Amino acid sequence: MQYSQVDAEARAVGRKFDLVVILSTFLALIAGFHVHQMLVAGDWSFWVDWKDRNWWPIVAPIMEITFPAAVQAVLWTKFRMPIGATFCCLGLLFGEWMNRYINFNGWTHYPLNMVFPETFIPQAVVLDIVLMLTGNWVVTALVGGELWGWLFYPTNWVMIAPFHLPVEYQGSLMSLADVINYMYVRTSTPEYLRIVETGTMRSFAGGVTGVAAFFSAFVSVCMYVPWWLMGTYFFGSTKFFKTYEATPVEARQH
Amino acid sequence: MAQTQTTATAVARPPITAFSWKSAGIAIGALIVFDVLINVYERLYAFSKGLDYTSADYESYWMGMLFAELVLEAVTAAGLWGWLWMTRDRALDRLSPAEELKRYWALGLFVLTYTYAAYAGASYFTEQDGTWHQTVIRDTDFTPSHVIEFYQSYPIYIIFGVGSLVYAMTRLPQFAKAFSLPYVILVGSPAMIFPNVGLNEFGHTRWFMEELFVAPLHWGFVTFGWGALAILGTWLQICPRVLSLINHVYYGKPIQSPAEVMKDPQSSVDPAACAACAA
Repeated sequence: MQYSQVDAEARAVGRKFDLVVILSTFLALIAGFHVHQMLVAGDWSFWVDWKDRNWWPIVAPIMEITFPAAVQAVLWTKFRMPIGATFCCLGLLFGEWMNRYINFNGWTHYPLNMVFPETFIPQAVVLDIVLMLTGNWVVTALVGGELWGWLFYPTNWVMIAPFHLPVEYQGSLMSLADVINYMYVRTSTPEYLRIVETGTMRSFAGGVTGVAAFFSAFVSVCMYVPWWLMGTYFFGSTKFFKTYEATPVEARQH
Repeated sequence: MAQTQTTATAVARPPITAFSWKSAGIAIGALIVFDVLINVYERLYAFSKGLDYTSADYESYWMGMLFAELVLEAVTAAGLWGWLWMTRDRALDRLSPAEELKRYWALGLFVLTYTYAAYAGASYFTEQDGTWHQTVIRDTDFTPSHVIEFYQSYPIYIIFGVGSLVYAMTRLPQFAKAFSLPYVILVGSPAMIFPNVGLNEFGHTRWFMEELFVAPLHWGFVTFGWGALAILGTWLQICPRVLSLINHVYYGKPIQSPAEVMKDPQSSVDPAACAACAA
């Protein structure tokens, strides 16, 4: 009886520590991943007229496979938990939606369908599944990284398709996203979609999205590797450095 | 590796109430209420009093707030860090296991509060700054959104982050005589986002540019933000020791003494040590 009470206390204390670890890790990852994402790919995430078929499918995936790879490196190798990528991307989506809803929509009054964020949850689930099934980070880089790049545009397509419909506006052919951009003036943000929708690739099978996704997948593979290694050897390091006072005298002399 | 067979039975257990969420609930609750009120202040006075740096309204509503918060933050930081240092434990080598476990719980709540503050600063208020800049033209480095983001939300998380590190270094054997690489990165790297504001503001002042959030000028924030990932290594250091303490306090299993941990903290995160305790 006495033992079971002690056991229950020990388990309760252990669970409380578990919760602190999970909650604090989730919040820290939102902070780090979101500030990373908004400053390397944020403009594409903020505005529907930036969600183009050329650069968005390249920039967003290759910059956002970073944190998932690093977190997978620790959660998989230390805990055998194949949820690192999903955990990260869920946090990112939470951070983005908090601001889009409360500030972009609630404070500066842009419509939500102009400022909704992209999602990485489907690719993250796939990345985690590849790691779980193979148990090998190199294969995950090669297969999961490729899928990460390829799947980004299709999995977001449902959300952005209506905004790519063509409309005639004041005698010009535009997309619906373009028209929204003209209606809601952003003082210092450059016009984007018409700038990138130029070039010599228009005749290549009618578009560049496939090529962009192909390129994106390649770079995602390349990005996965250093970020896994950084997660393993740097961010997941358990290294201590002794203070000068704690260093043995003989070591100080060298 | 030397392990002290300190005890097998009858180890003093801390009361279960020692592991209360109360202090973190109060701290995080207060921060949330404060953040809500700040948002209300912004909605009331950012567009109405904050668009012209040369106006008298701007001076009183925004510059006044800036100076007040900088003074308060400096006083709070000095007070908290100073208090933690002055009340440090000078006999850590005689720390009881039950007390050490309680202190790890306090540290966990401290880190949890830090991560909430870091979320508010680096995620919420930083993207809110994007909302502001892409809506209005900036005419000062101390634009209303910066008064909140750079000079308020960032110092708040720095105060909690450094505070948690000082707590660990002054009250826990594991961190008393050695610097933890991941913990220093976890606190120091996001803290460097604040000095990086100097680069950011100089750039915006010297080179007028379009409001692109992805401009290379902003990438210093990105690099320092990566440091948040070091929470993984920090917990990997702490968890084995906490597990050992739980096994010792509740099940009487052997554990390294505080003196041994202070002498060689690396051994306290050795998976072999953990396995030995669990055996």
